Amino acid sequence: MAKLPYLGTALTNLFRKPVTIAFPAGEAPAAQPAYRGRIAFDASKCINCGMCERVCAPSCMTRVAKPLEGGEPGDQEITFTFDMTSCTFCGMCADFCAKKAITLTEDYMMTGIIAEDFLVTGKVIKKAPPKPKFTPEQLAAMKAAAEAKKKAAEAAKAAAQQA
Amino acid sequence: MLFNLDKKITEAIDDAASKSLWLYHINAGSCNGCDIEIVAALTPRYDAERLGCKLTGSPRQADIVLVSGPVTLQSRDRLIRTLAQVPEPYCLVTVGSCPCSGNVFKGSYAICGPVDKYRHVDVSVAGCTPKPEAIMAGIAQAAAILKEKRRGMHE
Ligand code: SF4
Ligand code: SF4
Repeated sequence: MAKLPYLGTALTNLFRKPVTIAFPAGEAPAAQPAYRGRIAFDASKCINCGMCERVCAPSCMTRVAKPLEGGEPGDQEITFTFDMTSCTFCGMCADFCAKKAITLTEDYMMTGIIAEDFLVTGKVIKKAPPKPKFTPEQLAAMKAAAEAKKKAAEAAKAAAQQA
Repeated sequence: MLFNLDKKITEAIDDAASKSLWLYHINAGSCNGCDIEIVAALTPRYDAERLGCKLTGSPRQADIVLVSGPVTLQSRDRLIRTLAQVPEPYCLVTVGSCPCSGNVFKGSYAICGPVDKYRHVDVSVAGCTPKPEAIMAGIAQAAAILKEKRRGMHE
């Protein structure tokens, strides 16, 4: 009998599952571990240092500050917007963020029709620093008073020694 | 006409056309990363041909145009000229971050993007580079939009 090459392979292939993944009919497969996909921004951890904006090569994030509604005067609401159509997913922002507020998730399914489909936003509340107790003028007056008191005490001491 | 025959024929043609999407790919100065992923989306593992897609070599046969790259100075006029040859209705899909925004090249003297300066972009796929699954999702989304466009043309 003539030898039939590949017959075994052909027959086993008949009963094998297809290698084609079912997507888009089925579930999209998960990305590999440590895949750098869509950015997740945890605004509660962020301290608004601005490091992420500095290290981002395509300047994909914007920070917009506006006065906080219903807050103390000087409080600010800072809106972070990461534009995923601008990002190269290098991960620099996540590496440089001292507070680990930025993570790159494994979500790679980023398709959309309008620009808003690609934005990741977060709002950071920045409190105004506490008001100093005394104004500079008051402080200067207090300093002068203390100095005068010291001088008077010294003069009194010198007078007591001479007597 | 008799029994609305003309309407039925148009509908049948539209239905058939929505299952036969010919892709045309324009590289507008891309680094080749997205181009490779587009080709990967056509391989047996992802198999965009299941959706009826076929890569064509001529813009005159295209239903869905995939654009990659940040639109360089050299490729801008060619991109516009090529897109002008695509028959209506068609869907413009941008693949990757570059055609949407310019990515790391934005602000360069040699970059004239983004693509939506020149043509309406129907679907954008973000990523640098997008995974083939994301490109497939973009093509599927474009197919749905194209179907609507075709129907709109007959009304
Ligand atoms: S996200 Fe991180 S790096 Fe960016 S401003 Fe907030 S704390 Fe700083
Ligand atoms: S991953 Fe890279 S490109 Fe994307 S926002 Fe962070 S620093 Fe910018």
